[in-house]
Order: sequence, then C-alpha cells, then structure tokens
Amino acid sequence: MADVETKGEAPQGMPRQRRSMKTARSVIVIDKAADWIIRIGGIGVIVAVFGIMVFLAQVVVPLFTGASVESSSSAKIAPGPRALMEVIDEYKVLSTSVDATGKVHAFHIATGTELEAPAFDLGGKDVSAFNRTLNGRDLAFGFSDGTLRLGMLKVGGAVVDNAQVPQNLKRLNDTDFTDGQAIYTAISPEQMRVVSIAVELGEETQTAPAGTAIVAIDYRLGGTVERPTRSFITVDAAGIGRLSRTESRTNMLTGATTTTMTSSELPGLPADVHVHALLMTNNADQVYVAEETGNIYRYDTRSFAKPDLAETVDLLPGEATIGAIGFLIGEQSLVIGGSDGSVNVYFRLQRADAKTGDGYQLVRAHTLEPHANPVVAMDASQRGKLFVTADAGGDVWVRHSTSEQVVLKLAATDAEIDTVALAPRENGIVAITGDGQAHAWNISVPHPETTLRTIFGKVWYEGYPEPDLTWQSSSGTDAFEPKLSLVPLIFGTLKATVYALLFAIPIALGAAIYTSEFVHHRVRAVVKPTMELMASLPSVVLGFIAALILAPLVETWIAAIFCAFIVVPAGLFAGAYLWQLLPSTIALRYGGLPKFILIFTALIATGFVAFALGPWFERIFFAGDLKAWSTGSHGESTPFTAMLVFPFVFLALFMSTQGLVGERFGHILRGENRTLAGLADLGRWIATLIAAGVLSYLAALALVVIGMDPRGGIVDTYVQRNTLVVGFAMGFAVIPIIYTISEDALNAVPEHLRAASLGCGATDWQTAIFVILPTAMSGVFSAIMVGMGRAVGETMIVVMAAGNTPLLEWNIFSGLRALSANIAVELPEAVRDSTLYRMLFLAALTLFVMTFAVNTFAEVIRQRFRKRAAQL
Amino acid sequence: MGVIAETTQENRTPAAVGAAIRRTDMRARGEPALWVLGGALALGIAMIAGFLALVAWNGILTFIPKPIDVVTQADGTVTAGEPFREELFRPDAEVLEALTPEWRARIAAADGYTSRTLYRTGNFDLYGEDFRWIPDFTVTKRERPANVLFIERLEWGPFVGSIKSATIDGAERQIASLDDPAFVAAHRMSRQRWAQANDIEKDEIGAINHKLEAARLDLRGVELDSGRDSTDYRQAQARVEADAAVQRGNYDKLAVQVEDLRRLNAANTVTFVAVGGEEKTEEMAHLVRFYPANDLSFGGKIAVYFSRWAEFLGDEPREANTEGGVLPAIFGTAAMTLLMVIAVAPFGVMTALYLREYAKQGRLVSIVRISVNNLAGVPSIVYGVFGLGFFAYTLGGSIDALFYPERLPNPTFGTGGLLWSALTLALLTVPVVIVATEEALAAVPRSMREGSLACGASKWQTIRNIVLPRAMPGIMTGIILAMARGAGEVAPLMLVGVVKLAPELPVDGLFPFVHLERSFMHLGFHIYDVGFQSRNAEAGKPMVFVTTMLLISLIFVMNVVAIVIRNRLRRKFAGSQF
Repeated sequence: MADVETKGEAPQGMPRQRRSMKTARSVIVIDKAADWIIRIGGIGVIVAVFGIMVFLAQVVVPLFTGASVESSSSAKIAPGPRALMEVIDEYKVLSTSVDATGKVHAFHIATGTELEAPAFDLGGKDVSAFNRTLNGRDLAFGFSDGTLRLGMLKVGGAVVDNAQVPQNLKRLNDTDFTDGQAIYTAISPEQMRVVSIAVELGEETQTAPAGTAIVAIDYRLGGTVERPTRSFITVDAAGIGRLSRTESRTNMLTGATTTTMTSSELPGLPADVHVHALLMTNNADQVYVAEETGNIYRYDTRSFAKPDLAETVDLLPGEATIGAIGFLIGEQSLVIGGSDGSVNVYFRLQRADAKTGDGYQLVRAHTLEPHANPVVAMDASQRGKLFVTADAGGDVWVRHSTSEQVVLKLAATDAEIDTVALAPRENGIVAITGDGQAHAWNISVPHPETTLRTIFGKVWYEGYPEPDLTWQSSSGTDAFEPKLSLVPLIFGTLKATVYALLFAIPIALGAAIYTSEFVHHRVRAVVKPTMELMASLPSVVLGFIAALILAPLVETWIAAIFCAFIVVPAGLFAGAYLWQLLPSTIALRYGGLPKFILIFTALIATGFVAFALGPWFERIFFAGDLKAWSTGSHGESTPFTAMLVFPFVFLALFMSTQGLVGERFGHILRGENRTLAGLADLGRWIATLIAAGVLSYLAALALVVIGMDPRGGIVDTYVQRNTLVVGFAMGFAVIPIIYTISEDALNAVPEHLRAASLGCGATDWQTAIFVILPTAMSGVFSAIMVGMGRAVGETMIVVMAAGNTPLLEWNIFSGLRALSANIAVELPEAVRDSTLYRMLFLAALTLFVMTFAVNTFAEVIRQRFRKRAAQL
Repeated sequence: MGVIAETTQENRTPAAVGAAIRRTDMRARGEPALWVLGGALALGIAMIAGFLALVAWNGILTFIPKPIDVVTQADGTVTAGEPFREELFRPDAEVLEALTPEWRARIAAADGYTSRTLYRTGNFDLYGEDFRWIPDFTVTKRERPANVLFIERLEWGPFVGSIKSATIDGAERQIASLDDPAFVAAHRMSRQRWAQANDIEKDEIGAINHKLEAARLDLRGVELDSGRDSTDYRQAQARVEADAAVQRGNYDKLAVQVEDLRRLNAANTVTFVAVGGEEKTEEMAHLVRFYPANDLSFGGKIAVYFSRWAEFLGDEPREANTEGGVLPAIFGTAAMTLLMVIAVAPFGVMTALYLREYAKQGRLVSIVRISVNNLAGVPSIVYGVFGLGFFAYTLGGSIDALFYPERLPNPTFGTGGLLWSALTLALLTVPVVIVATEEALAAVPRSMREGSLACGASKWQTIRNIVLPRAMPGIMTGIILAMARGAGEVAPLMLVGVVKLAPELPVDGLFPFVHLERSFMHLGFHIYDVGFQSRNAEAGKPMVFVTTMLLISLIFVMNVVAIVIRNRLRRKFAGSQF
C-alpha cells in the first residue's frame, strides 16, 4: 500500500507536485516499523498467553518423572568381616560401617579412600546380636555370654575457620581433603566443614542368664532428660524373649545416678525359635519377633510387666525366608523382603474381625514389585516413606512404600550385596558388596510419593483402614506423610459448581427469556445493565457478605428458606391464575411494566410469607429442629422426601391431565367468558396441586419404605459455612453471566421468525417457547457452559464461605474445599519446588484445562449458533 | 416483548381484541409460566438491589456517631456501650430457673425466645473484650447520660467513659467541659507534636536508614566483585564507615528531637473514668477523637461523621487494620491498576491490531481468536499461580541474581511485588482488551480503510489516522473494563505481592521513587484480611462494609463509564455489532 505509484505525468511548470507524489522515506520506514512492532507484539502476546499452560505443565512434570542418577562411582575397599551396619553422613562424604568385632570402617565415598576410625572396644567378645536405630546413631550389641552393651556412633559435621584446620591435609578431590581421620570440605574461602567419627560405648548389662548367647536384640530410648529410660528386647539362645526396661534417676543433692531395671519374659515363644530379627516400636509399645521362615510374633507391650502375644502370623508363606526386615519412618510400617524376591509393606490396623488379643491385625497394605533374586538388605529413609532394597544379584532398587513405585533401579555388580545405606537427605546410596567393592550413587528423588495413581486414585496411607482419597498436605509431626489426592478438591469444585448452577440456571434463564421476550425494550435497557452490574461485583465482596452476613442468616432461617422454595413458586402461580381472572382489556392495558411490578411485589410478599411460615414449616417437615433432623437422629424423612418429589409429581400430573382431558377442557373454556374460564383454570390448578401433594406423600412413603432417605446423602449434618451459602453467593457471580449471554442469544434470533410466528396466530408465549428458544438453544447452552466455567474457577467466595474442608459427600449442609481455594490458601506457604508446590501447580493446571475445555466447547457452539442465526 | 407484537396489538381495534382473546386458549398464553419467568427476573433484580442496599446502608451508617446506653443489670453490673445489634435467642433452662415469674411467662409465650443486645463496650484494656451480650431480662435500668464520652484512641480500641481530670504541661486541672479552650489547645498541640514526631521517624529517620542500607549493600557489592582482601574493598569500607558515622550523628539528632516531642506530649494527659469506676490515664496525643455521644447536636454528629470519613480516606490503618484509614490500600490499588493499564493497553491493542489488520484471516487466526476469548474465562487464581511461579520466582529470581547479588539471599524482585502483581493482572485482563479492541476495529467500515488507502496513505497511516480514532471509544471501553476487573481481583494478588500491612508505600521520596519490587496493600485484600484474619471480626465488620462500599463504587463508576461509552459507540455505528 505504501508504494504509491510515482510515474504519473505531472503537468509542466509544477515541479512541487512531482515531489509530493513520491512517498516520503520516513513514511515507508514508519510503516515498516509499525508493521514489525505490531506483528512482534501481537504474536508475542499470543505466545505469552499460551506460554502459561506450557509453564504450568513444565512445573508439574517433575512430579511424574522426578528420579534420576546424577553420578555413580565405585571403589575397592579393604576386605574385612561382613559389616553389621552402614551409615552415610548428612553431607554424603563418609560411609561408615561397623563389623562384628566392633571395628569401624570408614571411607570417603567419592574416592574410596579409607580413613582411620576409632573402634568400639568390645573386650574381645564376639557380637552375637546387633541392632540400631533408623538414623544409625544408637547401636546395641548382644554377646554370646548373655550380656549386652549400648553404643553410639557419631558421624557428625562441624564448620570451622580455616585457621583451625590442621596443616598438610591430603587432597582427595576438588573440594575434599583429609588428615587421615576426618574429611574436610571447603564450603567458602574462609571456612571448612569437618566430618569426623566418634564412638561411645556404654556399660555391660546382663539380661540373659550368664553363658546363654543373645541371638537378637532391639532397644529404644525414652523418658525425659532427667530420667532417661531404655527399653530392651532380647532373645537368647534358649529361645527366651526378655523385655527389660532400665530407668536412671539422678539424685539432685548427691548427683549420684541410680539405675533400676525391670524385666519380664515374652510368653508363647517356641523354644526352637529361629529369630531373624527383633523390632521394637518407638514408644516401646509393640514388639515384633520375626522368625526366618516369615513367622511374626507380635507382642503388645504397653504393659511392661505383662507383655501379651497379640498375634502370630506367617507373612511369608511357603519356602521363602526373610532376607531383610525393617521399619519405615514412624515405625508403623514394616517392610519385609523375602528370599523369593518379594517386598511387601505391612501395618497394624484395627479390624472388627481381628482374631488377635488387642483387636489389631497386621495387614499387607502394599505389595511392591519383586526382585528377581533374594532380597538381602534394606535401608529406610529418615524423612519419608522411601527405602532401598538390595538383592543377591547386585541390584539396588529405590522404592516408595505409599506410592508403591520403584523409583530407581540401580545395578551394582553381579556380586551379592552385604549392606546398603540411604543418605539422610535421600540423595545418595552406598552399597557394599561381598567382594569388597563399595558402589556409590548420587541420586535425586524429589517427588517419590506422587504418581498418577496416588494423585487421582485411592491410596492406602499408613494407619488408614483402607485405601482412601485424601487431601491433607501438612501436619504437626515429623513422621506425618502428606496425603495429596486431587480427587477431594476436584469433587469440591464440582459440588460447588453443581449447587451454584442448580440455583443460578433457572433464575438466569427465566430472567433472560422474560427480558428478551416479554418486556418493553425501554425496560430492557434498564434491566439488562443492572443485571450486568452484578457481574462486576468483586468476588471478595461476595465472599465476605456470604460468610459473615449470609451464613449466620441462613443458619437462623434455614427452615424459612426451604419454605420459600415452595411458597414463592406457589405464590407466583397463584398470582398468575388470579391475573387470568382479570377482564382482557385490563389485562392487556397493564400487561407490561405494571404486571412486572406486580410480579415483583408477589415475589417479595411470598418471601415474607415464607419467612413467617418458617417455624411452622420446620415443625411439619423437619420435626421442629432442622439441624437435629438432618443428622438423621430425630424425626422422619417422609415429609422432606415428599417435598423433593413434589415438583416432579406435579409436573407429571399436570402434563398427563393436559394430554388426556386438556384438549376438551380447553374447548369448553374457549366458549366461556374470560373470568369464568380463569376461575375454571384456577380450580383445575388447585385440584392438581392437592392431588400432587397427596400423590407425592404416598410416593415418599413408598420411597422411605424401600429405604431411600435423603438424609446421609444430600442432607446431613449442618455446618455454618456450607454449600447452600456458597451456592447462593456463587449465584451472584454466575447468574449475570448466564443471563447476559443467553439474553444476547435470544435477542439475536432474527425478527422475521418472531413476526412469522406471531402472524400465524401464536401467542407471545408460544412464540417464545416453541420458536425463539429452540432457535437460540445452542447460544443458551453455551451461556450455561460459560457460567459453569466461572463457577469452577471462582476463588474468593469458596475460600471465605465454604469452610475449606476436603470432604467427599454431596451433603448440601456441609462445606467443601475447591481446587481454587486450596491454591489460594496453601500456595503462599508452599516451599518453592517442593512436592506440595508442584501439586498446587497441578491443581492450577487442572483448573486451567477444565475451564479452557468448557469455554472452548461453549465458544464453538456459540459460533455455530451465530452462523445458523445469520442464515435464518 | 418484541417490537412486532407490540405494534400488532396497537393496531387492533378494541372489539377485535376482545374477540381474539376470548377465543384464545388459556394454555396458549402460558400465564403461570410467564409469572415464574418474571419472578426469576424479579429475583435477580431483588438480589442485586438487596445486595447494594445492604452494602450502602451499612457503609453509609457506619460512621454516624451512635448514642451510648448505660445499662444496669439485676446483679448490679453497670455497662456502657453503643448498642450494636439485637437478636433473639433461647436461654438455657438454668438461666430460666433464676428468672422472675413474669419474665418466665413472657419467654414461654414467645416460644422460649427472648432478645439480647450486643453492646460495643470498648475499654478492651480494662475488660479484655470489645463487645458484650446483655439479655433483656437482666436489665433493670437503661439510660443515656449526657456526660458519657466516646473516645477513639490509637491503641486498645475505643474508650467509653467520662473525663475525670486532665494534666496540661504537667499541671493537673479540672476540665469543665470539652470546649475548655486550654484543653482543646493542649489536645491540638499534642496531636501536632505526635504527627511531627511520626513524620520525623518515618521520613527523615527512614531516609537515614535507607542510606545506611544502601551503603551496606554497596559494600557487599564491592565484596562480591573484588573480594574482601582487595584494596577496593578496604577503600569502600572506609568510605562507608565514615558515611555511616555522619548518618548516625544525624540519626542521634533526630532521635533527640523525637524524644523531646514525646516528652512534651507525656506531660499532657487525660484521666478517664469508665462507668464501673475504673480509671485510665491516656496521653492526649493518643486521643484521635472524642465526643459526648448522648449530647451531640446534629451539627456535631455531622462533624464527627465527616471527620471519620476524612480519616478513613486519608489516613493509615491502625489497630490491625480494623480502625483508622485505608489510604495505603487505596494508593496500592490505584498504583497497581495504573501500572496494569500501562502494561495491558499497548499490548492488548497491538494484539488486536495484529489479529484484525495484519494477520492473514484463516483457520489459525480464528482458532487463536477463540482461544484468546476463552482465556478471559480462565480462573484468576491460575494467573496468580503463573505469576508466582514465572514472574516472581523465575524472572524475579534471575533479575536478583543479575542485578542485586549483594542483597541475596533476601529477595528483591524474587518475591511478590507491585510489578509482578500488575503484570499478572495485565495477563489476566489482556483478553478483555483484545476482544473489545477487535470488536471496535471490526466496527470500522471497510470502506473507510479502502478510501484512505486509495488516497495514498500507507497502512500504518490508515490505522493511525482513520481506524484507531474511530475505534478509540471501543478500545477505551475495553481498557476501562479491564481496569474494573483488575481492581476487583484479589485471589491472584494473594499469591503475587499483596500484604496485610505494607510498611512503605510503593512510591515515596527516596530514589528511585517508584519501588516496583515492594509489596503493597489492596482494598480487596483489606476486606478479606479484616473480615477473616483479624482478632476480632465483629469489630472489623463496620470497617469492612465501608471498604466494600468504596471498592464497589470505584468499580461501578468504571463500569458505568464503560457502559456509557459502549452505548454511545453502538449508537454511532448502529448495526455493526456482532
């Protein structure tokens, strides 16, 4: 366009004209620049807007991919006796193991360099039993002479200034140095971190008879700082299980410590028991004695003096033996790896049919993917339900108990693995094989607890009676496991949407049809912007009013509100039948605005009637107290059921009488004068009403007899911030949207259709319902979809008025927790890139996809409608 | 009703009408259904009208000074307070037992219900409560003595009681009336000194702190650049220390000034006495406003009313936002909305121009158009999540790493703030602007464009001189609607930078004057916060209503302007809609 032709012949003697015919350079430059800027800006905005979805998805993806091996190494270490245990320090520089002679072996993980470490001086005795706490800090040694000793293995880090670092350190790699005993890591130009090993060994304690070897041991520390207690469980070579507790008291005056010990025997343990492991829970209230064959003797040790054999169960039926057994964090879940390669997780659950002493039963909650070779070692995480299992074939698998997934499969060698250790921060694994190799992996397992199945399916959480859908993202205790199922939140969103739409659609559509077809365009010009103003009310205001004003009002007048559902429509119908009695001249003259004002008055008046009838209504329908009634403990449900079925019965009755006798009735009325006909119609309506009332009561009786009770379903325990209130408040947000769009659609139906219909003798009503509405149907439908989109995404109303409890019930009197509200409440507290943070992004993505899909669907339908309307 | 139906009715002769109607089947008119439809519309209108009336009623009446009742109960307790609201309740059986027979009969007659009144007693520091329910049956006497004052203080909420004595410049004296000139002057003086001390603390001492902080950051920057052992660092350190010494000197001077003012103020006190006889001495400087609630002339009421409005609109909040003003929130809302418009207007218009004038109209463009349209329906919280993840954490984090390494690990742009809020809302509202602008562009007749091009104008010249001016009202409508939507959004802001109480405004006198990284206060969030997060939701409720009214009127004004412009536009280019 910019290239204006300049070839035109300019008249002689007018050179100025020639010049002006040439397009100025600046014009071309500006034009090109504008062209580019607008193109780049426009496309940029479109890309940016679509980038939202990409960005959200990119944050969410690691939830499902997550785990990776960052690096791996292996080193040859000095051969020695088989290690009893192995731990890794918090900074992943040292792997420390203890063998049966009490010697401590430590090596630098990255290079395999051995360090000199202090040893436990066991006085030359042989360790016949050994156990440790989950963090590997507290150890217990049992000896063949029936004594036991407790020890502590402290692998700790401290930060020191460079000045305090000893000279002539040996360089190990880029960051690490050693003096032969500890590892020094440079963390800043001025400071270094030292990781060193220290051991402590307690006094000898005799628990088993002298000379009887202890074959298995476990212990827990408890009590307070002033009065520490130690609880032991030992099994000796004679098959006697002993439960002991020592309590130390320090005399405040003398400073002398006295230790008392109480002891009792575990009943019911066979003499030839082959104990593989002993396990004691944190509070020392449960003891598990595991035989090699997989038999578990579970003791209830809440009473120390009188432990009770609560349950005996074979968890590994058949030939298989236990290869590895251990608790997960929290010490409720028991992992058992068998020689058949199986890895299962059990926990104790209260069961009504449990044939056990304490009503609990060990339940296999998770069956994990089995190894191909016998399981020989395991180690559990100190932060979550992550654990590693290793098999005789040299495979090391990282698993998560709750999500039942194998997060990583690592293959060390073909050699059998002796011990495996998981770093405290879940970021590294060291496995020591029987042939003296140490294999180390740096791993990253940020989100082992989430899979598609845990997010959208039922998950069996520790201590839950059955697999469940739960959202509970945080709690006070360390052992707490976040329960991140999106289903209750999606359900909450849908529940709010459904109840809001149940309220909004009839009102919005009714109002739209009335505005478009039955009022003067001057009235419409006032009414429509008024309704549209409602759309611009900030939702925080709606939420505030709903929660602080509406909720208490609804709670007080709940019966009146239910009453209004009956009285208001009935009042309007009555008004209509009375209006029919008017002579036609009056009816016509005042058919416009005056009639609407009359309807308005009728509405307000019936509202007041409902308000006044409230207490009476509550007595009849809800046995005098709706809140007590709704819990199902008080009164009958027949009247309410009748109320629910009444509209359907009435409609059915009305339709059937219309079909059967309506035609003849109409004929008769047509001959009569208007008032008489109106009276007859009124009579018919009242008759139908009464008949419908009786019929629906009978129907309700029948329904109740066959066991249908709305209580426990759509009505149940009343809470103040409930779905009814949310539905009302959301109505303010949704009604104007549905109203405006559907009114536009109705109004866009071409005038000639209306004219033709009226011209054929149809009334306004017939035209509206049988001509205009069907034509505009797709537009109306898309209006509903757009309204639904708004309800799905509405945030502040549900944050403030919905109570935010993630429930899975349709009860209209209970609260809900919607996706959007959940994001608003939890995201400000979520740590960046944590699982919760990504889960909330997933919630946002879900919302985005839901609303985008609904809106696109609506838009496509609307476009089709426009095209069709244009063709008509 | 359609136009056609109307004219047909008018053209009928009365006789014809009668005849026609008589032969019409009742069912065909659908009168009952019609009433239900009309009822739906009536309900919709009643909802909006009721809602607005509720907000306006509460909002307008909140600041009217209310009388104070002094209530004596049967057990001798005397309570003074503003009657706040009344409600019916059902007293427990034990309570009923203890009542006189006639009260019991009265309650039994009312189905077990009787009424009680909530009094705003104030005096939180004395009673440990702001409100007290008093059942009617316990009341033996209710009076409105003229000498009871309602005193609004800086701390502890209002005080209800009377003046016992006053100390002016250290000398105790009796106050005859509130109009006592010495008292009035002393109070005014105290308030002025208080304001002055506040100004010094906030502006001048604030500026010194700002400078000290800037110097510290400079030093840290040098340290990061050239290390702690470098000469640069030592030089910078010396410079900073010298500077800091000067600043500290200034600080001490100012601190002395503030101390002086405070000391002077401490000599002006008033001792109040509550109805129960408890005394409380307050500095005059801490008395915001006081009036004899039961002895207030009409003019006095008006004065209190407007002075409260002035405080509300022009002051900072106090008492955990439940009292005082909302100026920072108004300011924050305005600043954020303006910034949003600056971002959204050019980009929205550009995109619409691209879609309508530059892009080849094909399937792809219509898909893009539908999608852009739908983005208006994507929940605002999703934009908030995006804003937090992308703008604050990703973009802001990078900006911090690049430009503000000396401030790390404290985030500068790497957390929510004004800029990110404005950009998030810009993204949220850009579809509104795009759709409105596109509609406006489409309404410009093709012939005008062609005419312009035929005259030799370039494409850009055509757009600038012909298309944009004609589309301008439509574009303005879109922008105003976007502003209205943006100003009312709260959910995304909760994630990207709005706070309960911002210590500093985003614009102030310190370089660089506009602090885009600061978090800010917002009217909408203020409503949420005061209504839901405050210690005493009941005490905050009136405030919330006023804030609500302010926010709604702000948004309504914008919407009405947009609707007026739209209507004018439609009239101008009638027939070109859709």
